[in-house]
Amino acid sequence: MKTLRRDRLKIYGDILSAIYFEAGSNKIVMTKIQVRVNLPYDRLILFIKELVDLGFVQDETSLRLTGKGKQYLREYRKTLNFLKRMGLSYNK
Amino acid sequence: MPYELERIIIEVISAIVCFILVKFMINPFKLTGETKYLGLPLGFLFLGLSYAFSAFSFSSYFNFIKLGWIQLFVRGFAFFFLAATYYFSRTEKNPKRLQNTILGILLIIFVILILLVTVISPQFSFAAYRFWFICVHAFSMVCICFIIIHALKNHLGESDPATLAIPLGFIILFIGQYSALIWIVDASVLAFFAGLTFRLTGLIIFLYVSFKSYYDSNLGETD
Repeated sequence: MKTLRRDRLKIYGDILSAIYFEAGSNKIVMTKIQVRVNLPYDRLILFIKELVDLGFVQDETSLRLTGKGKQYLREYRKTLNFLKRMGLSYNK
Repeated sequence: MPYELERIIIEVISAIVCFILVKFMINPFKLTGETKYLGLPLGFLFLGLSYAFSAFSFSSYFNFIKLGWIQLFVRGFAFFFLAATYYFSRTEKNPKRLQNTILGILLIIFVILILLVTVISPQFSFAAYRFWFICVHAFSMVCICFIIIHALKNHLGESDPATLAIPLGFIILFIGQYSALIWIVDASVLAFFAGLTFRLTGLIIFLYVSFKSYYDSNLGETD
């Protein structure tokens, strides 16, 4: 199947999901996030800065999701699940 | 017309189900801002409107000749919008042309409806209505077939049993459209009720999938 290029929204969702999954560990390691979202380090840093500016992530060092970030992630997952069930593809 | 009350009840329930579905269908467009998902809420909105018009047209307070035509064409466009969504869902970019096309189509629908209500509909006979009923239903069936193929392809790619419900819903909707076609050609009571029942079943499946997607307890737990 043809893989579509990820758009900004999808990348945001992937990064927030990765941060959420890594939140259980004592310290969130950037390399683990990078592996999960499959992005070059410099681009990942830029996206995380954007997420901090948007108020989805607390700060660039602690990498903790804010309430707004969690809310976005919830809506994002639900919509993705809905599109999957509807038989529609969103940039994979 | 026979079975008016039964028909009105099912049309009203179908319209309500469609309007509830619009609430869910608009979410992908609201979240992603991609025009290609606009066809989903538009499709179910038009479908709901067509069932509402249909219910009105069968009641004794409204003129069937006028509203019958409206519901027929609105329904055709509803399936067109749904099929367009599935067609454009695989495109990479958010095509600006699509947005203009949708607006253009909406304008055309509006002009056609105004013409139907004010000028053309009083001049058409029931035989002409029957002919266009067959044409619109055949077109709708082609659109549904396209959606079924697309959704089944997606299901095979996902290999998740949860993704089978939607193609199943569209297959049931297809049978409903086919039964309605048999009814208008053959005047079969069985086909008439089968058409209404299958259609309602299909819509309820869509509603179930929507509720399951948005209110599944395993999803969205980020706390």
